[in-house]
Amino acid sequence: MANILSILIFLPILFSIPILFFKKDNVKLIKGYALGISLITFVLSVALYFSFNAGSGEYQFVQKMPWVKIINSYYYLGVDGISLLLILLTTLIFPISIIASFNPIKIRIKEYYFLLLLLEGALIGVFTSLDLVLFYVFWEFILIPMYFLIGIWGGEERIYATVKFFLYTMFGSVLLLIGIIWTGLLVQPFAGVFTLDIVQIATFTTYIPLDKQIILFCLFTLGFLIKVPLFPFHTWLPDAHVQAPTAGSVILAALLLKMGTYGLIRFSLGLFPVAFIKLTPVIAVLAVIGIIYGALLSIVQKDMKKLVAYSSVSHMGFIVIGIFALTNESMQGSVIQMINHGLSTGALFLFVGMIYERRHTKLIAEFGGLRKVMPVFAALFLVVSLSSIGLPGLNGFIGEFLILLGAFNSVNLGTGWYTIVSATAVIFSAVYLLWLYQRVMLGPIEKEENKVLKDITKAELATIIPLLIFIVWIGVYPNTFLRVSEMSVKKVLLNLDNTKIQMMKSIETKPKEPEKN
Amino acid sequence: MQELTLKQTLNSLSGFIPETVLIATVIVCLFLDLILRKKSVIVAVAGIVGLLVSGYFAYLQFGMREVIFTGMAVVDPFAVFFKILFVVSTIFVIIFTISSKEIQESTHHNEHVYLMVAMALGAFLMASASNMIMMYLSLETVSISSYILSGYTKRIKRSSEAAMKYVIYGAASSGIMIYGMSLIYGFTGSMNIYEISAILAKSAVTGNPVIVMSIIMILAGFGYKISSVPFHFWTPDVYEGAPVPVTAFLAVTSSAAGFAVMIRFFAVTFLQNNILLNGKLQIIPGINWTEIIVVLSVASMIIGNFTAVWQQSVKRMLAYSSIAQGGYIMLGMTMATQQGLTAMLVYLMGYLFMTLGAFYVVILVANKVDSDELVDMRGFGYKSPVIAVFMAVFMFSLAGIPSTVGFVGKFYLFSALIESNMVWLALVAVLNSVVSLFFYIKVLKYMFLMKPEEELTPKYQYGIGNYAVLLLLALPVMFFGLYFAPLVKIAEYSAILIGLK
Amino acid sequence: MLELNYFLVLSALLFSIGVVGVLVRRNAMIIFMCIELMLNAINISLVAFSSFLGNDSGQIFVFFVLTVAAAEAAVGLAIVISLFRNKESLDIDKINILKW
Repeated sequence: MANILSILIFLPILFSIPILFFKKDNVKLIKGYALGISLITFVLSVALYFSFNAGSGEYQFVQKMPWVKIINSYYYLGVDGISLLLILLTTLIFPISIIASFNPIKIRIKEYYFLLLLLEGALIGVFTSLDLVLFYVFWEFILIPMYFLIGIWGGEERIYATVKFFLYTMFGSVLLLIGIIWTGLLVQPFAGVFTLDIVQIATFTTYIPLDKQIILFCLFTLGFLIKVPLFPFHTWLPDAHVQAPTAGSVILAALLLKMGTYGLIRFSLGLFPVAFIKLTPVIAVLAVIGIIYGALLSIVQKDMKKLVAYSSVSHMGFIVIGIFALTNESMQGSVIQMINHGLSTGALFLFVGMIYERRHTKLIAEFGGLRKVMPVFAALFLVVSLSSIGLPGLNGFIGEFLILLGAFNSVNLGTGWYTIVSATAVIFSAVYLLWLYQRVMLGPIEKEENKVLKDITKAELATIIPLLIFIVWIGVYPNTFLRVSEMSVKKVLLNLDNTKIQMMKSIETKPKEPEKN
Repeated sequence: MQELTLKQTLNSLSGFIPETVLIATVIVCLFLDLILRKKSVIVAVAGIVGLLVSGYFAYLQFGMREVIFTGMAVVDPFAVFFKILFVVSTIFVIIFTISSKEIQESTHHNEHVYLMVAMALGAFLMASASNMIMMYLSLETVSISSYILSGYTKRIKRSSEAAMKYVIYGAASSGIMIYGMSLIYGFTGSMNIYEISAILAKSAVTGNPVIVMSIIMILAGFGYKISSVPFHFWTPDVYEGAPVPVTAFLAVTSSAAGFAVMIRFFAVTFLQNNILLNGKLQIIPGINWTEIIVVLSVASMIIGNFTAVWQQSVKRMLAYSSIAQGGYIMLGMTMATQQGLTAMLVYLMGYLFMTLGAFYVVILVANKVDSDELVDMRGFGYKSPVIAVFMAVFMFSLAGIPSTVGFVGKFYLFSALIESNMVWLALVAVLNSVVSLFFYIKVLKYMFLMKPEEELTPKYQYGIGNYAVLLLLALPVMFFGLYFAPLVKIAEYSAILIGLK
Repeated sequence: MLELNYFLVLSALLFSIGVVGVLVRRNAMIIFMCIELMLNAINISLVAFSSFLGNDSGQIFVFFVLTVAAAEAAVGLAIVISLFRNKESLDIDKINILKW
């Protein structure tokens, strides 16, 4: 069990290589093999869940080996409750994405599954790395498979979309790199050695002069916010989503965006709490704008995939508000909402993909009355939409409720207005999703082509059912998951109680001698 | 001046073995070519063996710190590091000439081998020269051989045109350089950089326009070798016009040699030796050459990267990219610290493999499609996936994506910059690397994302040797990208110049 | 005895003429001659410095500059010839397959 994290990372990566040597025509073998590997990874991650000690907020399954001694860099892995949930989400989404790709992907099959498995390993690496250099390597490495996934198997405008995605995220990443190196160097006098081990430097970052802390926080956070993506850094997202193949969209929405919010919790807050509190108003305002803006744009979209993409902007803004509210409830809510968004939006993208497979269009106007020909499909679609809206009994409610509850009285946000305005997003999401449902599923069938559409197939059900199980599970009994992250969230909050937050808010940002606060 | 005796000279010969071997290699190859004429592989093999032997002797010199030939040259880890770098790159380039169609189809292609060895000899001397006469001579040895090589395929118009431009630029800028040297000589009365440094440190030179002017003039010579802005105008034309192996040689060996001589000249001449304040070497007061280098470096990065974006020819794009890469490497000089020097050496090692690799792919592509235009690479990822994947590795490395050696180099450079409180410069550099990413992935875009015009194209076949060479270049790129401790150790060990520390 | 400055001014003038010539002339042969002029200007200043400082190395440098200039001229002329065979012209404005 000691090496389980390494196994989780490198099982998909190493076992992706044989795919390249399979015979090109043996499509079944390639698909089955890729699915098998991803299922094994999932089983292992479930084992990880069961052997995880939820009573502790410390990093568990820690593995620390010297990697590059010269810069004191370690191959340092570990999970706490937050990363554990994200790993579970990752390993769940990948088999689903692989199944969802069986039909749509018809060219370069070998390369496709090879890249998917590579991506899975790297994603788990991001969520488990506790050394900043290691983290950065995985973080950047993800761009490579993603670039090809969108660029080769994407839609009409795929090249524009993938280049935009690549450059945007790279822009954030290089700032992150500067931030990482600078942090290491500024911490060096206090730690004695140059180190980028986050457990170690987190104890020293508060000694850095505050003005520098704020710059470092900005360098780190900008990279994460682009990934989230927060308004106004979101423009890459609709393009990437619309052009990506279905599985690409699912992974992008369910997992890649979570890298940003994960980074906010683990690094922005974990390393620079004072700057985090100081800059809360700026980011909270952006998040609120993003929530409203994303929701409004969703309403007017004509393309289903774009609609879901803009709804992601809105939902992710919600998660960011939860994180910056800095209360136990809101943080818990954000963590669980990260999972929820992964499940619901992932499922929505799958549905859009299914429709696209049948009609080769994603324009809402092309549809109408599908409920008559595809009753099961319509019913499931409604459940997922409701979960995304936040209907009690389904997962979205739990996350949104916790975030709103925590954020309303948050000392860090300072005022309840952020929460009140954000809460309107729930109404908006009801508007765009139900209206989407109405336009696509209800009413008379006007187009001839729609009359012969087949209902959901077994293979498609296989992709949706696991997501639905968790959607309902979290909605009915969220404790299975909340329990895991509870202690970790407390640890992440660094025992920041209201008085401490007040105190940090009143610290002057002028440069001063390093001292312990 | 040291007393010149026969005994001293003979003693110096023992520190001159690698160079002697190279001279012997040139002569042997020349005769072999005369005798064998057609059998090009034997001459090439002889050249490679000579280089290996010379590299071995250079390796034995590691750790030596000697001044040879009455202060004309020195043997120190820094010089030895570069000698080995030159040996490796020259061997690869000779292998390139064997597999390049455009060279094999030209007349007298064997002459490439010994001209390249001769260039390596010049590069060796550039790395170890400690006297301005020696610097000028070695620089010209490299230059003159490269003029010939770039105009070698004389039936091809653009090749002789490139050579023409190269000669004019080269001769003019080295002329400007020695004018600067003559001014420094007039000011200090010495040609030896150690003596010059001592004299400058004693005399009050604050803001002396003669010194500043001569620094700029000397930079013209060095800057032209490393193709730094604003001495870069020859680079795109020559890179595009010359045969690809020669271009690779110019981009790697010749510019690395330029860096070697430039680092030694500036670090020795304009730093106060033996005085360390807070672990930092002190610049001789009043001569703010680092500021000039900052300007050149930033200009190189910006102009190189932004111009590369518009290029349609891969060779031209790589030319601008190497201008930009030169800008990154120069960043290491701007803070005049040991860390900066180490970072430059780390970067140069990575640069060697990734640039040679990229050029080799260009050769292999050109062998099949007879073109180096991006458009003609369309769909290459489907016609020859393995080659294209290697190209992806090299491109990602040049762009500095983690898990490649290019990232390690950038990581070290940025660390050194931030450590010297030059964060803004590091920011300029990283933003530039985002721009550079745009054109590096453009190559991949053409190779993988765009389908070839004709639907069913036959797969291109390459020999096992071609793959082996590519693998030899790509493995270090990936291995040192993930485990860079040895790389850094070598660089730290080599960042020792005689007279410093 | 003449002052050092006379020599230096002469050398600077010749050097400038050479540089301007390289920049403005359009015939490859004349450009080469201008480069020679630059090198000889440098030789004058080196010899002048050497004689006034009483130090030999300047004059040694001059010998090397002369040799290198000869080698450079030989290679340069060879390239000019091969270019002329291809283009039938030495006007560098007409040498324009490659963008400058």
